[in-house]
Amino acid sequence: MRILRSVRHKVCADGSFMKEFLLDAPVTTGFFSYLRHFGSVEALPGLGEGFYKFEKPEWFSIKGFAGDTTVEVRFRKEVMDLTVDFVYLLFASYREETPDLSVLKLRERAISERVRKHLHGT
Amino acid sequence: MVNTPPLIYLNNAATSWPKPPEVRTAVTEFLDIPAFGSGRTTGTQGEDYVTKARGALSSLLAADLPEHVVFTQNATDSLNHLIQGFLAGEKERCHVLTTALDHNSVLRPLHEYERQHRIGLGVIPFENCSVRPEAVEAAIRPDTRLMVMTHGSNVLGSVQDIQGIGNILHDHGIYFIVDGAQTAGHIPINLRDLPVDAFVFTGHKALFGIPGTGGFYIRDPEAIAPVRFGGTGTDSFSLLHPRGMPERFEAGTPNYPGLAALAAGVNYIIGVGIDTIAAKAERQTAFILHELKKNPDVIIYNEHPRLPIVAFNIPGLESDDVGFILARAYGIIARTGLHCAPLVHKEIDGGKGCVRLSLSWFTTDKECRIVAEAVREIAQNADPAVSPS
Repeated sequence: MRILRSVRHKVCADGSFMKEFLLDAPVTTGFFSYLRHFGSVEALPGLGEGFYKFEKPEWFSIKGFAGDTTVEVRFRKEVMDLTVDFVYLLFASYREETPDLSVLKLRERAISERVRKHLHGT
Repeated sequence: MVNTPPLIYLNNAATSWPKPPEVRTAVTEFLDIPAFGSGRTTGTQGEDYVTKARGALSSLLAADLPEHVVFTQNATDSLNHLIQGFLAGEKERCHVLTTALDHNSVLRPLHEYERQHRIGLGVIPFENCSVRPEAVEAAIRPDTRLMVMTHGSNVLGSVQDIQGIGNILHDHGIYFIVDGAQTAGHIPINLRDLPVDAFVFTGHKALFGIPGTGGFYIRDPEAIAPVRFGGTGTDSFSLLHPRGMPERFEAGTPNYPGLAALAAGVNYIIGVGIDTIAAKAERQTAFILHELKKNPDVIIYNEHPRLPIVAFNIPGLESDDVGFILARAYGIIARTGLHCAPLVHKEIDGGKGCVRLSLSWFTTDKECRIVAEAVREIAQNADPAVSPS
């Protein structure tokens, strides 16, 4: 699955920066299950084809409906430059079969250090 | 979504949609012939939209003098104009009052002047969605010169006791500016009787105009110094801006298409009848609230709004998520978050924000049933234990 382009953006009331991304294929329940490896996922499976929200504290959140070809990503603005590539990587690396998470985990660790340093100075 | 549901627009407190067909016709008519503005052309074939809009507004708001209706870009522009113009006439730093119900269009200009040490600012809290006149009286100081407050809350839908508050303020010689952005076009307003010195309106909400129009009615123009100067199409040999009304507060070419739309929108309201509009809105709002109250998990912030506004949260979901689900799964456009009224939200939901449904004359009973059912479904699927709002 790939992000094709950003179709909408706004600065939210809480200061976060929202981008709506158009995907090359509908997002699946399996994709949100895969995201659990990197943060928490809330699910309301009874609504439409299922509403899902992934939270990676201090990085970003991703929400959307299964079967939809757009998702809304809300970035913590201060570290958006550090984390935006990881969003693209999450989508591009997803496979229906058991994905290999090793590269993503390495990348996540490296970005985490930079995010922590930027936000907390440690 | 695969099956996109029909659009149900319930964000009318931000900008109304749809507009009456007459509004579209008026804008088209304006574009079909050259602009006609008194003093600005030798042509005579066009409509004088500005005068027409002034007449319509003064009729709807029961304002005695149409020429005391001043046009601006929007309500925020009007409020800035009035506040700045009032303070321009104050020789010393004075005390100004506002309320925690107010919009940033009032709060931000006043906080800017407070930061510049030009005013002392008192923000009066609200109780049960309303500001009590006694609380206003208690907040008055010997140096209080101005109060600026909302007529109707854009979050809670409560209408304030402008009569009671205005009487108290006038007893103390305090100038009273009322922000009617949420009330004009929704409920009957009689400026002949209300004790207000200036009343602000916006064109693009319940008055059915298009964005870029707003204004104010001013009782005594001499109380506010003009703060914009330029061409008026009148008395052009004078290098000083005219002080007569309405030129005193208007400079530059007016927003003709906007005012054509505003005149058509206001005349549409007059044609339908403001009492009819208010009664329908009250009935539909009461229906939605009645349905929402059936679900004990839905938090409703005002169970008896006088404006067609329903503010709520669903425990376990952020307001933005509810808005997202409403839009994507049901085609219902609401507004979520802080609604530019941070002090209201600080009080009612700890600053997290809420979901706001706002109706218009064009909202149908069927749409009300669909939105009530949608909120019920979302609430049933949410887990209140996840993150209580």
